[in-house]
Amino acid sequence: MLLECAGLTMRFGGLTAVDAVDLKLEKGQIMGLIGPNGSGKTTFFNMVSGIYKPTAGEVRLSGRNIAGRRPDYVASCGIARTFQNIRLFSGMTVWENVMIGRHCRMRQSILDDILGTARKQAEEKAAQEYLTGLLTLFKMQHMLHEQAKNLPYGKQRELEIIRAMASEPELLLLDEPAAGMNPQETAELIEFIRKLRDMGVTILVVEHDMKLVMNTCDRIAVLNNGRKIAEGSPREIQTNEAVIKAYLGKKVKEGA
Amino acid sequence: MLQEFIQQIVNGLVLGSTYTLIALGLTMIYGILGIVNWAHGELYMLGAFAGLYLAVVLKLPFIVALLGAMIILAVCGMLLERLVFRPLRQAPELNMIIGTLGISIFLMNTAIVLFSPNPLSFPTEYSNEYLSFLGIAITMQRLLVFFITVVLIALLNYLIKYTELGKAMRACEQNPDAARLMGIDINRISLVTCAIGAALAAAAGVLVGPIFLVSPQMGLLAIAKVFAVVILGGMGNVEGAIWSAFILGLAESLTAGFFSSDYKDIITFFILIAVLIFRPQGLFGNNVIEKV
Repeated sequence: MLLECAGLTMRFGGLTAVDAVDLKLEKGQIMGLIGPNGSGKTTFFNMVSGIYKPTAGEVRLSGRNIAGRRPDYVASCGIARTFQNIRLFSGMTVWENVMIGRHCRMRQSILDDILGTARKQAEEKAAQEYLTGLLTLFKMQHMLHEQAKNLPYGKQRELEIIRAMASEPELLLLDEPAAGMNPQETAELIEFIRKLRDMGVTILVVEHDMKLVMNTCDRIAVLNNGRKIAEGSPREIQTNEAVIKAYLGKKVKEGA
Repeated sequence: MLQEFIQQIVNGLVLGSTYTLIALGLTMIYGILGIVNWAHGELYMLGAFAGLYLAVVLKLPFIVALLGAMIILAVCGMLLERLVFRPLRQAPELNMIIGTLGISIFLMNTAIVLFSPNPLSFPTEYSNEYLSFLGIAITMQRLLVFFITVVLIALLNYLIKYTELGKAMRACEQNPDAARLMGIDINRISLVTCAIGAALAAAAGVLVGPIFLVSPQMGLLAIAKVFAVVILGGMGNVEGAIWSAFILGLAESLTAGFFSSDYKDIITFFILIAVLIFRPQGLFGNNVIEKV
Protein backbone atom coordinates (compact mmCIF):
# COMPACT_ATOMS: atom_id res chain seq x y z
CA MET A 1 0.00 0.00 0.00
CA LEU A 2 1.35 3.43 -0.92
CA LEU A 3 -1.11 5.45 1.13
CA GLU A 4 -2.98 4.13 4.13
CA CYS A 5 -5.25 6.38 6.16
CA ALA A 6 -6.75 4.85 9.28
CA GLY A 7 -9.40 6.48 11.46
CA LEU A 8 -8.46 9.91 10.17
CA THR A 9 -10.51 12.49 12.10
CA MET A 10 -10.59 16.28 12.16
CA ARG A 11 -12.68 18.29 14.60
CA PHE A 12 -13.03 22.07 14.54
CA GLY A 13 -14.46 22.90 17.97
CA GLY A 14 -17.74 21.02 18.08
CA LEU A 15 -17.86 20.29 14.36
CA THR A 16 -16.49 17.00 13.12
CA ALA A 17 -15.44 17.77 9.55
CA VAL A 18 -13.89 14.36 8.86
CA ASP A 19 -14.97 11.42 10.99
CA ALA A 20 -12.78 8.29 11.23
CA VAL A 21 -12.15 7.84 7.52
CA ASP A 22 -10.15 4.82 6.31
CA LEU A 23 -8.66 4.95 2.84
CA LYS A 24 -6.15 2.77 1.03
CA LEU A 25 -4.43 3.56 -2.21
CA GLU A 26 -2.17 1.22 -4.18
CA LYS A 27 0.79 2.36 -6.22
CA GLY A 28 -0.19 3.45 -9.72
CA GLN A 29 -3.87 3.75 -8.87
CA ILE A 30 -6.00 6.79 -9.49
CA MET A 31 -8.60 7.27 -6.81
CA GLY A 32 -11.40 9.82 -6.90
CA LEU A 33 -12.74 11.37 -3.73
CA ILE A 34 -16.23 12.73 -4.26
CA GLY A 35 -19.09 13.98 -2.13
CA PRO A 36 -21.49 16.90 -1.76
CA ASN A 37 -20.21 20.34 -0.71
CA GLY A 38 -19.05 20.43 2.89
CA SER A 39 -18.57 16.68 3.09
CA GLY A 40 -14.95 17.04 4.21
CA LYS A 41 -12.99 16.32 1.01
CA THR A 42 -10.70 19.33 1.17
CA THR A 43 -10.22 18.90 4.93
CA PHE A 44 -9.16 15.32 4.22
CA PHE A 45 -6.64 16.60 1.66
CA ASN A 46 -5.31 19.18 4.08
CA MET A 47 -4.63 16.50 6.65
CA VAL A 48 -2.82 14.25 4.18
CA SER A 49 -0.64 17.13 2.91
CA GLY A 50 0.22 18.38 6.40
CA ILE A 51 -1.66 21.68 6.42
CA TYR A 52 -3.98 20.46 9.20
CA LYS A 53 -2.86 18.35 12.11
CA PRO A 54 -5.45 15.55 12.40
CA THR A 55 -7.35 15.33 15.70
CA ALA A 56 -6.96 11.56 15.54
CA GLY A 57 -5.86 8.83 13.17
CA GLU A 58 -2.91 7.91 11.01
CA VAL A 59 -1.62 8.77 7.57
CA ARG A 60 0.91 6.21 6.37
CA LEU A 61 2.98 6.74 3.24
CA SER A 62 4.72 3.47 2.33
CA GLY A 63 4.27 2.46 5.96
CA ARG A 64 5.72 5.62 7.51
CA ASN A 65 3.31 7.64 9.67
CA ILE A 66 3.34 11.28 8.55
CA ALA A 67 0.15 12.51 10.26
CA GLY A 68 0.64 15.93 11.84
CA ARG A 69 4.05 16.60 10.27
CA ARG A 70 4.82 19.99 8.71
CA PRO A 71 3.88 20.54 5.03
CA ASP A 72 7.48 20.94 3.93
CA TYR A 73 8.37 17.62 5.55
CA VAL A 74 5.37 15.89 3.96
CA ALA A 75 6.40 17.32 0.59
CA SER A 76 9.92 15.98 0.96
CA CYS A 77 8.46 12.54 1.78
CA GLY A 78 6.90 12.50 -1.67
CA ILE A 79 3.41 13.96 -1.51
CA ALA A 80 2.71 16.88 -3.85
CA ARG A 81 -0.58 18.69 -4.26
CA THR A 82 -2.49 21.35 -6.16
CA PHE A 83 -5.15 23.70 -4.86
CA GLN A 84 -8.82 24.31 -5.50
CA ASN A 85 -7.99 27.98 -6.12
CA ILE A 86 -4.75 28.26 -8.07
CA ARG A 87 -1.70 29.11 -6.00
CA LEU A 88 1.10 29.64 -8.45
CA PHE A 89 3.99 32.01 -7.87
CA SER A 90 2.23 34.41 -10.17
CA GLY A 91 5.02 36.95 -10.60
CA MET A 92 7.54 34.29 -11.62
CA THR A 93 8.00 32.58 -14.95
CA VAL A 94 6.74 29.12 -15.88
CA TRP A 95 10.29 27.81 -15.65
CA GLU A 96 10.92 29.33 -12.22
CA ASN A 97 7.66 27.87 -10.95
CA VAL A 98 8.62 24.33 -11.92
CA MET A 99 12.17 24.82 -10.63
CA ILE A 100 10.76 25.73 -7.22
CA GLY A 101 8.51 22.68 -7.46
CA ARG A 102 11.71 20.67 -7.58
CA HIS A 103 13.12 22.35 -4.46
CA CYS A 104 12.68 19.38 -2.15
CA ARG A 105 14.66 17.13 -4.52
CA MET A 106 17.70 19.41 -4.39
CA ARG A 107 20.36 17.94 -2.12
CA GLN A 108 23.03 20.63 -2.45
CA SER A 109 24.25 22.55 0.60
CA ILE A 110 23.97 26.34 0.93
CA LEU A 111 27.67 26.60 0.10
CA ASP A 112 27.28 24.56 -3.10
CA ASP A 113 24.33 26.75 -3.97
CA ILE A 114 26.06 30.10 -3.47
CA LEU A 115 29.42 29.17 -4.94
CA GLY A 116 27.88 27.37 -7.91
CA THR A 117 30.04 24.26 -7.45
CA ALA A 118 30.18 21.31 -9.82
CA ARG A 119 27.73 19.50 -7.57
CA LYS A 120 25.17 22.26 -7.95
CA GLN A 121 25.68 22.38 -11.70
CA ALA A 122 25.22 18.62 -11.96
CA GLU A 123 22.01 18.76 -9.96
CA GLU A 124 20.73 21.68 -11.95
CA LYS A 125 21.48 19.89 -15.20
CA ALA A 126 19.58 16.80 -14.07
CA ALA A 127 16.67 18.99 -13.00
CA GLN A 128 16.74 20.79 -16.31
CA GLU A 129 16.57 17.55 -18.30
CA TYR A 130 13.71 16.12 -16.26
CA LEU A 131 11.70 19.36 -16.25
CA THR A 132 12.21 20.03 -19.94
CA GLY A 133 10.92 16.53 -20.63
CA LEU A 134 7.93 17.11 -18.39
CA LEU A 135 7.07 20.47 -19.94
CA THR A 136 7.46 19.07 -23.44
CA LEU A 137 5.18 16.13 -22.66
CA PHE A 138 2.48 18.53 -21.52
CA LYS A 139 3.10 20.94 -24.42
CA MET A 140 4.28 23.92 -22.41
CA GLN A 141 7.90 24.02 -23.59
CA HIS A 142 7.28 27.11 -25.74
CA MET A 143 6.06 29.27 -22.84
CA LEU A 144 8.93 28.84 -20.37
CA HIS A 145 9.62 32.53 -19.95
CA GLU A 146 6.01 33.61 -19.73
CA GLN A 147 4.94 34.94 -16.33
CA ALA A 148 2.55 32.53 -14.65
CA LYS A 149 -0.14 35.18 -14.20
CA ASN A 150 -0.27 35.81 -17.97
CA LEU A 151 -1.20 32.23 -18.87
CA PRO A 152 -4.79 31.34 -19.77
CA TYR A 153 -6.78 29.78 -16.94
CA GLY A 154 -6.60 26.20 -18.15
CA LYS A 155 -2.85 26.46 -18.64
CA GLN A 156 -2.39 27.86 -15.12
CA ARG A 157 -4.13 24.77 -13.74
CA GLU A 158 -1.94 22.51 -15.84
CA LEU A 159 1.17 24.41 -14.73
CA GLU A 160 0.19 23.86 -11.12
CA ILE A 161 0.01 20.12 -11.77
CA ILE A 162 3.35 20.13 -13.61
CA ARG A 163 4.89 22.08 -10.72
CA ALA A 164 3.62 19.40 -8.34
CA MET A 165 5.06 16.72 -10.67
CA ALA A 166 8.44 18.47 -10.71
CA SER A 167 9.38 16.87 -7.40
CA GLU A 168 8.75 13.35 -8.83
CA PRO A 169 6.20 12.67 -6.08
CA GLU A 170 5.11 9.23 -4.91
CA LEU A 171 1.59 10.53 -4.57
CA LEU A 172 -0.11 13.43 -6.32
CA LEU A 173 -3.12 15.12 -4.71
CA LEU A 174 -5.34 17.10 -7.07
CA ASP A 175 -7.91 19.35 -5.41
CA GLU A 176 -10.74 20.04 -7.88
CA PRO A 177 -8.53 20.38 -10.93
CA ALA A 178 -11.49 21.04 -13.22
CA ALA A 179 -13.02 23.82 -11.09
CA GLY A 180 -13.99 26.78 -13.23
CA MET A 181 -13.03 25.09 -16.50
CA ASN A 182 -15.18 25.10 -19.61
CA PRO A 183 -16.04 21.73 -21.24
CA GLN A 184 -13.17 21.95 -23.72
CA GLU A 185 -10.62 22.71 -21.01
CA THR A 186 -12.01 19.83 -18.97
CA ALA A 187 -11.61 17.48 -21.93
CA GLU A 188 -7.98 18.57 -22.25
CA LEU A 189 -7.50 18.02 -18.53
CA ILE A 190 -8.83 14.47 -18.82
CA GLU A 191 -6.22 13.82 -21.53
CA PHE A 192 -3.62 15.37 -19.24
CA ILE A 193 -4.52 13.11 -16.30
CA ARG A 194 -4.47 10.05 -18.57
CA LYS A 195 -0.93 10.93 -19.56
CA LEU A 196 -0.04 11.08 -15.86
CA ARG A 197 -1.58 7.63 -15.43
CA ASP A 198 0.54 6.28 -18.27
CA MET A 199 3.59 7.63 -16.44
CA GLY A 200 2.57 5.45 -13.48
CA VAL A 201 1.80 8.29 -11.10
CA THR A 202 -0.43 7.51 -8.12
CA ILE A 203 -3.17 10.13 -7.83
CA LEU A 204 -5.86 11.02 -5.34
CA VAL A 205 -8.26 13.51 -6.89
CA VAL A 206 -11.13 15.50 -5.38
CA GLU A 207 -13.54 16.53 -8.10
CA HIS A 208 -17.14 17.52 -8.69
CA ASP A 209 -17.01 17.00 -12.42
CA MET A 210 -18.38 13.46 -12.81
CA LYS A 211 -17.24 13.17 -16.40
CA LEU A 212 -13.67 13.64 -15.26
CA VAL A 213 -13.99 11.31 -12.30
CA MET A 214 -15.71 8.50 -14.20
CA ASN A 215 -13.25 8.75 -17.11
CA THR A 216 -10.01 8.79 -15.18
CA CYS A 217 -10.41 7.04 -11.83
CA ASP A 218 -9.81 3.35 -11.09
CA ARG A 219 -11.62 3.57 -7.79
CA ILE A 220 -13.90 6.11 -6.14
CA ALA A 221 -14.52 6.87 -2.47
CA VAL A 222 -17.57 8.89 -1.45
CA LEU A 223 -17.68 11.17 1.58
CA ASN A 224 -20.84 12.55 3.14
CA ASN A 225 -20.96 14.61 6.34
CA GLY A 226 -17.36 13.66 7.07
CA ARG A 227 -17.94 9.90 6.80
CA LYS A 228 -16.98 7.53 4.03
CA ILE A 229 -20.26 6.08 2.80
CA ALA A 230 -19.06 4.06 -0.17
CA GLU A 231 -16.02 2.90 -2.09
CA GLY A 232 -15.71 0.99 -5.33
CA SER A 233 -15.23 1.10 -9.09
CA PRO A 234 -16.93 3.94 -11.00
CA ARG A 235 -19.65 1.51 -12.15
CA GLU A 236 -20.39 0.36 -8.59
CA ILE A 237 -20.54 3.92 -7.30
CA GLN A 238 -22.96 5.02 -10.01
CA THR A 239 -25.52 2.49 -8.84
CA ASN A 240 -24.87 2.67 -5.09
CA GLU A 241 -28.04 3.46 -3.09
CA ALA A 242 -26.31 5.40 -0.33
CA VAL A 243 -24.46 7.59 -2.84
CA ILE A 244 -27.58 8.43 -4.78
CA LYS A 245 -29.32 9.30 -1.52
CA ALA A 246 -26.45 11.56 -0.43
CA TYR A 247 -26.49 13.45 -3.71
CA LEU A 248 -30.22 13.66 -4.34
CA GLY A 249 -31.64 13.56 -0.81
CA LYS A 250 -34.03 11.04 0.71
CA LYS A 251 -36.83 9.65 -1.37
CA VAL A 252 -39.96 11.55 -0.49
CA LYS A 253 -42.73 9.21 0.54
CA GLU A 254 -45.88 9.55 -1.44
CA GLY A 255 -48.50 11.66 0.25
CA ALA A 256 -46.11 13.06 2.82
CA MET B 1 29.89 75.87 -8.57
CA LEU B 2 30.67 72.71 -10.48
CA GLN B 3 32.97 71.59 -7.69
CA GLU B 4 30.27 72.21 -5.13
CA PHE B 5 27.85 70.24 -7.27
CA ILE B 6 30.18 67.25 -7.61
CA GLN B 7 30.93 67.37 -3.91
CA GLN B 8 27.22 67.21 -3.12
CA ILE B 9 26.66 64.40 -5.60
CA VAL B 10 29.37 62.41 -3.82
CA ASN B 11 27.75 63.14 -0.46
CA GLY B 12 24.39 62.12 -1.89
CA LEU B 13 25.80 58.81 -3.11
CA VAL B 14 27.28 58.12 0.34
CA LEU B 15 23.96 58.91 2.01
CA GLY B 16 22.09 56.88 -0.59
CA SER B 17 24.42 53.91 -0.01
CA THR B 18 23.71 53.99 3.72
CA TYR B 19 19.96 54.18 3.18
CA THR B 20 20.17 51.36 0.64
CA LEU B 21 21.99 48.97 2.95
CA ILE B 22 19.58 49.57 5.82
CA ALA B 23 16.49 49.61 3.62
CA LEU B 24 17.33 46.31 1.89
CA GLY B 25 17.08 44.37 5.14
CA LEU B 26 13.96 46.19 6.24
CA THR B 27 12.15 45.59 2.97
CA MET B 28 13.25 41.92 2.70
CA ILE B 29 12.13 41.15 6.25
CA TYR B 30 8.79 42.75 5.50
CA GLY B 31 8.41 40.95 2.18
CA ILE B 32 9.24 37.50 3.48
CA LEU B 33 8.23 37.50 7.16
CA GLY B 34 5.47 40.12 6.91
CA ILE B 35 7.00 41.94 9.86
CA VAL B 36 7.78 45.65 10.01
CA ASN B 37 11.02 45.67 11.97
CA TRP B 38 11.21 48.86 14.04
CA ALA B 39 14.43 47.57 15.61
CA HIS B 40 16.27 47.64 12.29
CA GLY B 41 17.96 50.98 13.06
CA GLU B 42 19.41 49.40 16.20
CA LEU B 43 20.99 46.63 14.12
CA TYR B 44 22.70 49.40 12.13
CA MET B 45 23.82 51.04 15.41
CA LEU B 46 25.11 47.77 16.89
CA GLY B 47 26.94 47.08 13.63
CA ALA B 48 28.72 50.42 13.94
CA PHE B 49 29.75 49.66 17.53
CA ALA B 50 30.91 46.16 16.61
CA GLY B 51 33.02 47.61 13.77
CA LEU B 52 34.39 50.33 16.05
CA TYR B 53 35.40 47.75 18.62
CA LEU B 54 37.06 45.45 16.09
CA ALA B 55 38.89 48.25 14.25
CA VAL B 56 39.83 50.69 17.00
CA VAL B 57 40.18 48.52 20.10
CA LEU B 58 41.41 45.30 18.50
CA LYS B 59 43.23 47.26 15.76
CA LEU B 60 42.07 44.99 12.97
CA PRO B 61 42.22 46.27 9.38
CA PHE B 62 39.04 48.14 8.43
CA ILE B 63 37.86 45.57 5.87
CA VAL B 64 38.32 42.74 8.37
CA ALA B 65 36.39 44.73 10.99
CA LEU B 66 33.62 45.28 8.41
CA LEU B 67 33.31 41.56 7.70
CA GLY B 68 33.54 40.73 11.42
CA ALA B 69 30.75 43.16 12.30
CA MET B 70 28.58 41.73 9.52
CA ILE B 71 29.06 38.21 10.85
CA ILE B 72 28.34 39.26 14.46
CA LEU B 73 25.16 41.07 13.43
CA ALA B 74 24.07 38.17 11.19
CA VAL B 75 24.06 36.05 14.34
CA CYS B 76 22.12 38.80 16.19
CA GLY B 77 19.62 38.85 13.31
CA MET B 78 19.11 35.10 13.59
CA LEU B 79 18.60 35.38 17.35
CA LEU B 80 16.06 38.14 16.76
CA GLU B 81 14.18 35.93 14.29
CA ARG B 82 14.19 32.91 16.57
CA LEU B 83 13.32 34.71 19.82
CA VAL B 84 11.03 37.52 18.67
CA PHE B 85 9.83 37.32 15.07
CA ARG B 86 8.95 33.63 14.95
CA PRO B 87 6.61 33.70 17.96
CA LEU B 88 5.06 36.89 16.55
CA ARG B 89 4.48 35.62 13.03
CA GLN B 90 0.92 34.43 13.66
CA ALA B 91 0.15 37.36 15.98
CA PRO B 92 -2.01 40.40 15.11
CA GLU B 93 -0.21 43.33 13.47
CA LEU B 94 -0.32 45.46 16.61
CA ASN B 95 1.60 42.83 18.61
CA MET B 96 4.32 42.77 15.96
CA ILE B 97 4.67 46.55 16.06
CA ILE B 98 4.80 46.67 19.85
CA GLY B 99 7.20 43.73 19.92
CA THR B 100 9.75 45.13 17.48
CA LEU B 101 9.40 48.66 18.94
CA GLY B 102 10.14 47.16 22.35
CA ILE B 103 13.27 45.49 21.00
CA SER B 104 14.35 48.81 19.52
CA ILE B 105 13.99 50.63 22.86
CA PHE B 106 15.66 47.75 24.70
CA LEU B 107 18.67 47.63 22.39
CA MET B 108 19.16 51.40 22.32
CA ASN B 109 19.09 51.72 26.10
CA THR B 110 21.33 48.71 26.57
CA ALA B 111 23.80 50.44 24.24
CA ILE B 112 23.55 53.67 26.26
CA VAL B 113 24.38 51.75 29.44
CA LEU B 114 27.23 49.83 27.82
CA PHE B 115 28.82 52.50 25.65
CA SER B 116 27.62 55.78 27.26
CA PRO B 117 25.34 58.14 25.33
CA ASN B 118 28.23 60.28 24.07
CA PRO B 119 29.05 60.03 20.37
CA LEU B 120 32.38 58.36 19.60
CA SER B 121 34.64 59.04 16.68
CA PHE B 122 35.68 56.09 14.54
CA PRO B 123 38.95 56.87 12.75
CA THR B 124 40.08 54.39 10.10
CA GLU B 125 43.08 54.03 7.84
CA TYR B 126 41.00 55.54 5.01
CA SER B 127 39.78 58.65 6.87
CA ASN B 128 42.82 60.77 6.06
CA GLU B 129 43.48 59.59 2.54
CA TYR B 130 42.18 61.78 -0.19
CA LEU B 131 41.53 61.39 -3.85
CA SER B 132 41.76 64.73 -5.65
CA PHE B 133 40.46 65.59 -9.07
CA LEU B 134 39.03 68.76 -10.67
CA GLY B 135 40.17 70.66 -7.63
CA ILE B 136 38.02 68.72 -5.17
CA ALA B 137 39.17 66.26 -2.56
CA ILE B 138 37.16 63.19 -1.58
CA THR B 139 38.17 60.98 1.34
CA MET B 140 38.80 57.36 0.47
CA GLN B 141 36.29 56.44 3.17
CA ARG B 142 33.47 58.00 1.17
CA LEU B 143 34.51 56.23 -2.01
CA LEU B 144 34.75 53.01 -0.07
CA VAL B 145 31.16 53.39 1.17
CA PHE B 146 29.85 53.66 -2.35
CA PHE B 147 32.10 50.96 -3.78
CA ILE B 148 31.32 48.38 -1.10
CA THR B 149 27.61 49.13 -1.32
CA VAL B 150 27.68 48.40 -5.06
CA VAL B 151 29.52 45.13 -4.40
CA LEU B 152 27.01 44.09 -1.73
CA ILE B 153 24.05 44.93 -3.97
CA ALA B 154 25.61 42.85 -6.75
CA LEU B 155 26.11 39.90 -4.38
CA LEU B 156 22.55 40.15 -3.09
CA ASN B 157 21.23 40.33 -6.63
CA TYR B 158 23.15 37.16 -7.53
CA LEU B 159 21.84 35.41 -4.42
CA ILE B 160 18.21 36.33 -5.05
CA LYS B 161 18.13 35.77 -8.80
CA TYR B 162 20.45 32.86 -9.44
CA THR B 163 20.56 30.55 -6.44
CA GLU B 164 18.14 27.93 -5.21
CA LEU B 165 18.06 29.77 -1.87
CA GLY B 166 17.08 33.01 -3.60
CA LYS B 167 14.35 31.24 -5.53
CA ALA B 168 13.01 29.80 -2.29
CA MET B 169 13.07 33.30 -0.75
CA ARG B 170 11.11 34.76 -3.65
CA ALA B 171 8.65 31.88 -3.46
CA CYS B 172 8.05 32.57 0.24
CA GLU B 173 7.50 36.22 -0.54
CA GLN B 174 4.92 35.47 -3.23
CA ASN B 175 2.97 32.69 -1.58
CA PRO B 176 4.18 31.21 1.71
CA ASP B 177 1.55 28.44 1.80
CA ALA B 178 2.38 27.14 -1.65
CA ALA B 179 6.10 27.48 -0.86
CA ARG B 180 5.76 25.16 2.12
CA LEU B 181 4.06 22.56 -0.02
CA MET B 182 7.03 22.66 -2.38
CA GLY B 183 9.11 21.44 0.56
CA ILE B 184 10.52 24.86 1.42
CA ASP B 185 11.22 25.24 5.14
CA ILE B 186 9.86 28.72 5.90
CA ASN B 187 11.63 28.91 9.25
CA ARG B 188 14.97 28.38 7.58
CA ILE B 189 14.24 31.01 4.93
CA SER B 190 13.18 33.50 7.64
CA LEU B 191 16.38 32.85 9.55
CA VAL B 192 18.53 33.44 6.46
CA THR B 193 16.57 36.58 5.55
CA CYS B 194 17.10 38.08 9.00
CA ALA B 195 20.79 37.18 8.96
CA ILE B 196 21.27 38.88 5.58
CA GLY B 197 19.19 41.92 6.57
CA ALA B 198 21.09 42.43 9.82
CA ALA B 199 24.48 41.93 8.13
CA LEU B 200 23.64 44.60 5.53
CA ALA B 201 22.54 47.03 8.26
CA ALA B 202 25.81 46.32 10.08
CA ALA B 203 27.74 47.05 6.89
CA ALA B 204 25.99 50.43 6.70
CA GLY B 205 26.93 51.19 10.31
CA VAL B 206 30.59 50.27 9.89
CA LEU B 207 30.90 52.13 6.58
CA VAL B 208 29.43 55.48 7.67
CA GLY B 209 30.43 55.35 11.34
CA PRO B 210 33.83 56.82 10.41
CA ILE B 211 32.22 59.64 8.38
CA PHE B 212 29.68 60.74 10.95
CA LEU B 213 29.92 59.66 14.59
CA VAL B 214 28.93 56.46 16.37
CA SER B 215 26.31 56.79 19.11
CA PRO B 216 23.53 54.65 20.62
CA GLN B 217 20.90 57.00 19.15
CA MET B 218 22.13 56.83 15.55
CA GLY B 219 19.66 54.08 14.71
CA LEU B 220 16.68 56.17 15.69
CA LEU B 221 17.64 58.96 13.31
CA ALA B 222 18.36 56.57 10.47
CA ILE B 223 15.23 54.46 10.73
CA ALA B 224 12.83 57.36 10.09
CA LYS B 225 14.59 58.13 6.80
CA VAL B 226 14.85 54.49 5.86
CA PHE B 227 11.13 53.97 6.37
CA ALA B 228 10.60 56.82 3.94
CA VAL B 229 12.91 55.00 1.50
CA VAL B 230 11.11 51.68 1.87
CA ILE B 231 7.68 53.25 1.42
CA LEU B 232 8.86 55.18 -1.64
CA GLY B 233 10.23 51.99 -3.15
CA GLY B 234 7.07 50.02 -2.37
CA MET B 235 7.00 47.84 0.75
CA GLY B 236 8.80 44.56 0.08
CA ASN B 237 10.23 45.73 -3.25
CA VAL B 238 14.02 45.24 -3.22
CA GLU B 239 14.81 47.03 -6.47
CA GLY B 240 12.52 49.94 -5.60
CA ALA B 241 14.28 50.37 -2.26
CA ILE B 242 17.67 50.75 -3.97
CA TRP B 243 16.44 53.40 -6.42
CA SER B 244 14.55 55.41 -3.85
CA ALA B 245 17.47 55.29 -1.39
CA PHE B 246 19.69 57.02 -3.93
CA ILE B 247 16.95 59.45 -5.00
CA LEU B 248 16.43 60.53 -1.39
CA GLY B 249 20.15 60.62 -0.62
CA LEU B 250 20.84 62.87 -3.61
CA ALA B 251 17.79 65.08 -2.96
CA GLU B 252 18.89 65.54 0.63
CA SER B 253 22.50 66.42 -0.03
CA LEU B 254 21.71 68.73 -2.95
CA THR B 255 19.19 70.57 -0.77
CA ALA B 256 21.73 70.82 2.01
CA GLY B 257 24.40 72.10 -0.39
CA PHE B 258 22.41 74.61 -2.40
CA PHE B 259 19.78 75.84 0.06
CA SER B 260 20.44 75.08 3.66
CA SER B 261 21.01 71.93 5.63
CA ASP B 262 17.98 72.94 7.70
CA TYR B 263 15.80 71.99 4.74
CA LYS B 264 17.26 68.57 3.98
CA ASP B 265 14.95 66.59 6.26
CA ILE B 266 11.98 68.65 5.10
CA ILE B 267 12.67 67.57 1.53
CA THR B 268 12.74 63.88 2.46
CA PHE B 269 9.46 63.93 4.26
CA PHE B 270 7.87 66.27 1.74
CA ILE B 271 8.63 63.69 -0.95
CA LEU B 272 7.31 60.93 1.31
CA ILE B 273 4.01 62.70 1.97
CA ALA B 274 3.58 63.56 -1.70
CA VAL B 275 4.15 59.93 -2.68
CA LEU B 276 1.76 58.67 -0.02
CA ILE B 277 -0.94 60.98 -1.36
CA PHE B 278 -0.44 60.45 -5.08
CA ARG B 279 1.13 56.99 -5.34
CA PRO B 280 0.48 55.10 -2.11
CA GLN B 281 1.83 51.85 -3.57
CA GLY B 282 5.27 53.50 -3.83
CA LEU B 283 7.16 54.93 -6.80
CA PHE B 284 8.26 51.51 -8.02
CA GLY B 285 5.63 49.26 -6.52
CA ASN B 286 2.78 47.81 -8.48
CA ASN B 287 2.47 44.71 -6.36
CA VAL B 288 1.45 45.67 -2.88
CA ILE B 289 1.81 42.55 -0.77
CA GLU B 290 -1.33 41.85 1.19
CA LYS B 291 -0.74 39.62 4.17
CA VAL B 292 -4.01 37.99 5.14
